[in-house]
Amino acid sequence: MNEKTGVKDLLGIAARFIVGGVFIYAGWLKAVAPAEELAYAIETYKTVPASLTIFIAMVVPWLEIYLGLFLITGVFTAYSALCLGATLLGFEGLLLQAIIRKLPVTSCGCFGASKSGSLSHEFIQNLVLLALTALAWKHGKKLSIDSLIESHD
Amino acid sequence: MPAKKTARKILISIMLAFAATLLTLLCRQFSIGPARPSPAWRTFGPQNAKIQIYEYTDFACPACRAAEGDIKNVMKLYPDSVRVNFKHYPLSTLHPWSFNAAAYADCAGKQGKFREYAGLLFENQEKWARNKNKPKEFQELAKKLNLDVPALEACTEEQDTIRQVQLDVAEGDLRGVNATPTFIINGKRAVGGSQFLERVKNFDNLLKK
Repeated sequence: MNEKTGVKDLLGIAARFIVGGVFIYAGWLKAVAPAEELAYAIETYKTVPASLTIFIAMVVPWLEIYLGLFLITGVFTAYSALCLGATLLGFEGLLLQAIIRKLPVTSCGCFGASKSGSLSHEFIQNLVLLALTALAWKHGKKLSIDSLIESHD
Repeated sequence: MPAKKTARKILISIMLAFAATLLTLLCRQFSIGPARPSPAWRTFGPQNAKIQIYEYTDFACPACRAAEGDIKNVMKLYPDSVRVNFKHYPLSTLHPWSFNAAAYADCAGKQGKFREYAGLLFENQEKWARNKNKPKEFQELAKKLNLDVPALEACTEEQDTIRQVQLDVAEGDLRGVNATPTFIINGKRAVGGSQFLERVKNFDNLLKK
């Protein structure tokens, strides 16, 4: 780590690892489980047609794994953080409408079949992740593949 | 040379995605990852047991009926060391009523009598398994056990009940189950009663570790 690395950079790197790690873990848990499990969780949010849920359930876990990995390793760091931020905003939208409509969502589907907290708990947790993602986007460029390639030539 | 740098990043991204995909698929193949526990009514033995058995069964399959006795004996022999997670894996193309049987058994479980109902389903397998119409035995067996039959019938139609069975099947497919009974014992597979008994011979060694 060079001497120009400040506190903000360190926080940015830490944020990258936390958000990336959470997404890889959440995606992996879902990717090694039957897609139907997540599809049923998505259905309970009553926002997308039932016929689409299985497709979404097959795509989302891989997206989470790839984006999480890109963020941790710092390849296309800014874009990865932006995509993850957008994904988190999407999740927040789903959770918020479920809270407002008082839908009986028993498992949020966030971490596969493992027990999830209440919807409001998950909503707050995602807000924290969203803040960390912003930090990673703004200050997470050090100690990354991006910086390695940029400084190579 | 920004284009060259971007190309490098793209190449690295592809390699990372490829490695992550490969690793995750390997985890799937070798059933690495948290197993979905069965509902409480079809889970037997202490939670922290050293030997965890996942048993994929079809109530209409004769080999499953035969293996049921072996499972009971193992539970008696190792009451504190073995936990059995009963999983449904109805082979609906071969046995038209086994999916329904699984749903009935789960609903009996919700009334506290899964084991008893499952036992009766196996005992009377020949009477209902190959019926052309919906077997009357499902209700008769419930009456024998003094279950609330109208509640049981309503429960078998519920979306949650059907999903529970479908999820077990999907999980079995993901774990490469394609015959019944299939046992996954501490991550190792045994198909059929004789392979299961072979694994049981090793239980004492497993418990010594």
